Amino acid sequence: MRYYSSRSALAVLFLFPLLWSGWSSLRGQDGGFTFGNYAQMARFGEGLPRYFGNSLLVSVLTVAGTVVVSALGGYAFARFRFPGKNLLFLATLAILMVPYATILIPLYVLLGYVGLQNSLVGLALVFVMFQLPFATYMMRNSFEAVPRELEEAAMVDGCGSLRALIGILLPAVRPGLITVALFAFLASWNDFFAPLILLNDGASFPLPVAVVSMTQKTFGAIDYGMLQAGVMVMAVPCLLLFLVLQRYYVRGFMSGALRG
Amino acid sequence: MFRRLPAITAAALLAAALAACGGGEPAGSASAGSDGPVTITMWTRAATQAQSQRLVDAYNATHKNQVKLTVIPTDNYQPRIAAAAGAKQLPDIFASDVVFVPNYTSQGLFLDITDRIAKLPFKDSLAPSHMRLGTYEGRQYTLPHTLDLSVWFWNKDLYKKAGLDPEKGPTTLKEFAEQATTIQEKLGKDGKVHGTFFGGNCGGCYVFTFWPSVWAAGGEVLNEDGTQSLVDKPPMTDVFAIYRELYEKGITGPTTKEEQGPTWTGFFPKGEIGVMPMPSTTLGSMPADMKIGVAPIAGPDGGESTFVGGDSIGISATSQHPDEAWDFLAWTVSDEAQIEVVAKNKDVVARTDLADNKYSSADPRVVLINSLVAKGRTPYALKFGQTFNDPQGPWLRLAREAVFGDPSKLPSLNESVNQSLQQ
Amino acid sequence: MTGMAQLTTAARTGRGRRAPARPGTLRALAGMAYAAPTAVIVLTLFLAPLVLVVVMSLHRWPLLGAPTFNFPANYTKIVHDPLFPGAVVFTLKYTAIITVLLSALALGLALLVQERRPGVGFFRTAYFLPGAVGFAAAALLFYGMLNNDVGPFGFLGVKWTGTPNMALASTIVLVLWRFAGFNMLILLTGLQSIPVEVYEAARTDGASRWQVFTRITLPLLRPTIALMLILSITGSLLAFDQFFIFTNGGPDNSTVSMVMVIYRNAFFKFDLGGAAAISVVLLVVLVALNTLQLKVLR
Repeated sequence: MRYYSSRSALAVLFLFPLLWSGWSSLRGQDGGFTFGNYAQMARFGEGLPRYFGNSLLVSVLTVAGTVVVSALGGYAFARFRFPGKNLLFLATLAILMVPYATILIPLYVLLGYVGLQNSLVGLALVFVMFQLPFATYMMRNSFEAVPRELEEAAMVDGCGSLRALIGILLPAVRPGLITVALFAFLASWNDFFAPLILLNDGASFPLPVAVVSMTQKTFGAIDYGMLQAGVMVMAVPCLLLFLVLQRYYVRGFMSGALRG
Repeated sequence: MFRRLPAITAAALLAAALAACGGGEPAGSASAGSDGPVTITMWTRAATQAQSQRLVDAYNATHKNQVKLTVIPTDNYQPRIAAAAGAKQLPDIFASDVVFVPNYTSQGLFLDITDRIAKLPFKDSLAPSHMRLGTYEGRQYTLPHTLDLSVWFWNKDLYKKAGLDPEKGPTTLKEFAEQATTIQEKLGKDGKVHGTFFGGNCGGCYVFTFWPSVWAAGGEVLNEDGTQSLVDKPPMTDVFAIYRELYEKGITGPTTKEEQGPTWTGFFPKGEIGVMPMPSTTLGSMPADMKIGVAPIAGPDGGESTFVGGDSIGISATSQHPDEAWDFLAWTVSDEAQIEVVAKNKDVVARTDLADNKYSSADPRVVLINSLVAKGRTPYALKFGQTFNDPQGPWLRLAREAVFGDPSKLPSLNESVNQSLQQ
Repeated sequence: MTGMAQLTTAARTGRGRRAPARPGTLRALAGMAYAAPTAVIVLTLFLAPLVLVVVMSLHRWPLLGAPTFNFPANYTKIVHDPLFPGAVVFTLKYTAIITVLLSALALGLALLVQERRPGVGFFRTAYFLPGAVGFAAAALLFYGMLNNDVGPFGFLGVKWTGTPNMALASTIVLVLWRFAGFNMLILLTGLQSIPVEVYEAARTDGASRWQVFTRITLPLLRPTIALMLILSITGSLLAFDQFFIFTNGGPDNSTVSMVMVIYRNAFFKFDLGGAAAISVVLLVVLVALNTLQLKVLR
C-alpha cells in the first residue's frame, strides 16, 4: 500500500496543472461552463483546422527527417571509423550550445537565399537541425548497445552494412527510434519562436503562434480562458500520442531489445 | 560586400544540399507589373487586429486589389519586424504601435510618403500627434491607423452605492483620489470592490495612464526631441505621490504592484473597481448592463489630456507595390472608411474633422473621446520602446521606486533613463 | 556494393602488406556516406549561420543598409551592458539550483517507477505527461495558474511572482514540473540497460539496498547521468522561455537570464552586432564547459 500511496500523491501533483488548465478552458467570463473559448478559437483568422494542419505537416516532416538523418548518423558514429568523425559528432552536439534567438536571424537570411523562407519545409529543416544533438546521441548509444556479433553474423552471411542496418539493426534499435521520433514531434509541434521568426504569412502559422495571437487583447490584456483552451488544443494531441506510443515504447524496453 | 560573402557561400552550400531533397515551394510572391489584381501583404499586432481586420475586409470587398493581413503576437511584434527587416522580408505594409514609429523611421524601414500625403484634401486633420511621430527629419512616413486613448472610466453603480453622485466623475487627479478613497471606504470591506487600479509592473501602462496627468498640468515628461527625461521633477513627481498614497492606503486592488499588463483592464468590467484609467477601445466591449462614465485624464489640480496611442501604418521601404499599398492606406483614412467602418464600430476616428459624425452622436462619451484626439499627446523618442515599454528598461524601475519603493532614488534612476534615450 | 567489393579486391592485390587497412578504407567510406546527411545539415543549417553570427559580431549591423566593421566595440561594450553582468550571476545561480533539484527529483522518480508492477505504467505516464506539453505552453499554463485573480491558489494570497525569491522559486517549480519526467525517462533507459543479473549477484552477496545503489546503480548510470547533466546545465545556461514568458524578467529585473539580454539587444534595441557578440562569448564558454564536463564524467 505504501508503494501506491506515495506514487499516487506524486501523480496528483504532476497531473493537477493539466487538469486545472482543462477545467478553466471550459469556463466562461461569468464562471459558467461553456465551449465558448473553443468556439471563438475555431473562428479566429484562417480557422483552427488550418493552423492545426500546418502544425501537423511541419511535425510529420520533422519526424521523418530527424529519424532518417539520426538513424544513419547514429549508425555511422557507433560502428564506423572515418576521418572527421569526432569533429562532426562534437559539431552536432554543439548545436545545443547556441542561443536559439541569435541563430534565427542568420537562418532566416540563408533560407531566403534558397527560397525556403516562409515555407513549412524550411521550418521543418530547421527543426531537424535543432533535434540532431539529442537524436544523434540517442541513436549512437542505441546502436552501441546492440551486440556487435549480431551485425557481424549478418556481414559474414554476405550482407552489406546497409542491409545489416535495415534488416537487423533497425528492429533492434526501435525503442531508440520511437523515442527520437516522439521528441522530434513534441519539439516541432510546440515550438513558438522559430515559426514566428521564419514564416511571413499568417496562413502558414502553426498552432502556437496562432494561439498566442488569439489570446492577446488590447494593451497586453490576455483572455485567460482562451489561453488555457489554447494550451489544451496544443497539448492534447501530444498527450494522446504519448499515451498511444507508450505501449510500444515500454514494450520496447521491456522486451529486452536493448539487452539482447 | 563583406556582409554578403559569407551569406552567399553558405547559401550556395545550402542550395547544393537541398537540390537533392527535391526542392521546396517556389520563393516569394508573384512579381509586380502584371495587370491582374495585386495582393498586398500587411502585418499588424494582435492587440489591434480587430480594427485592422475590419478595414481590410471592407477594402477587399470593394476593390480589385486584395490586402492579406497577417496577425503577429503583440509581445513579439518588434522581434518579428527586426528579423524581417534584417532578411529584407518586410511585407508591403506594416502597422506599428505608434510610439515605436520614430525608431523604425530612423532605421529606414518605412517608405517616404510625404508627397503622397500632401495630395490628401484632409491632410491637416489627420490625428496630429500620430503625424508628428511619423515625421523624421522633415519627411513623413506614416498615417494614423487605429487609435486608442487613455481616459478615466468610473462605475456609476458603485458611485451610487457609495453615496457619490454617479453623474459627476473626477475633474482633477485629487478628486480622482478622493472618489477612489470613498469607494474603498464605503464598499471595500468584503475585499471584492476596490477604489482604483493600475498596472504597477508594466512600463507601458504607467506611460499610458500617468503621463496625461502631467500634460494636463501643463508639464512635460520629455524634452522636444526625446533625448532628456523630466520624470524626476514635478508635475510627474506630484502625480507619482498621489498614486503612491492610494497604494499605501490600500485603495488600489491587491494585485496592483505585480500587474505586468495582461489583466490590468480586466478588473473594471467585473464591477470590482470604482474609478481608473482605461484604454478607450475597451468601451465597446464593456458589459452591456454596466453604467460607465468617461472623463478625460486630469492633472492634480485640473486640466485635461490623454495619451493618443494605437497604431500608425506605413509602406515598407522594400515593398514592390508602393502604389497599390498607398491606395489602401489612403482609403483607410477616407471619409468612407473612417465613418462607415471605424466610427460605425465605435472606434476612435483618425481625423479631427470627423470627430462628430452620425454614429458618434448617439453616444456623448464617444464624441468626448474623439474630441480628445486633438488635445492629446503622443510622446516622441527614438529609443522609446527600449526605455519605457521594455520590462527590462530603466523607466519601469524608476516608476516602481516612485510608487512602491524609495522616491529618493529618482534622480539617479532618471540618469539611466537619459542614458537609454541617448544611446 | 559490387563496385566497392572490386575496389577492395584491387586494393588488396596491389598493396599486400597493409592489408588490414583496406577493409578499413571501405568501412570509412561507408561510414562517411551514412554520416553525410548529418554533415550536410550541420554544415548548412548550423555552421553557416554560426559563421554569419561571428561576422555580425564584428560589425555595427543595422536592420537595413550596409554594416560597418567595428571590431572590437561589440565585445568591449559587453561589460558595460546595464543588464548583462547581473544576468550572468543570476543565470549561474539558477543553473546551479535547477541542476541539483532536477537531477535529484528525476533520479528519485526513476527509482520509484523502475520496477515492473501493476500500475507502474500509469505512474510513469503521469510523471512524464507534463513533458508532452510545450515549454512555452507550460509557461503560459503556469502564468494563468499562479495568477491570483484567475488561478486556483488565489485564496492563499501568496504573491507567486511578486518578490525576486518567489519569482525564482515559482519558475523552478514550473521547470521541475515540465522536465522532471523527461529526465526520469533518460535515467530509466539507463536503469533498464543494467542487467538484472548484476543486481541478483549483489543481492546474493548480501549487499544492502543502499550499497546496491551507490556501488552498482550509480556507477553504471554514469554515462546516462552525464547526458542528463549536460542537457540540464546547457539548457539552464541558455534559459529563456521560462523567464521571458512566465516572470518577464521581473520583478525589478531580478530574473533576467543571459539569453534574455541577447534577445533584448537584438530584437528590442536592434543591436544585432552587440547581441551576436554576447552569443559568441556564450557559445565559447559553453563549448569549453561541456568539453570539461565530458572529460570529467567519462
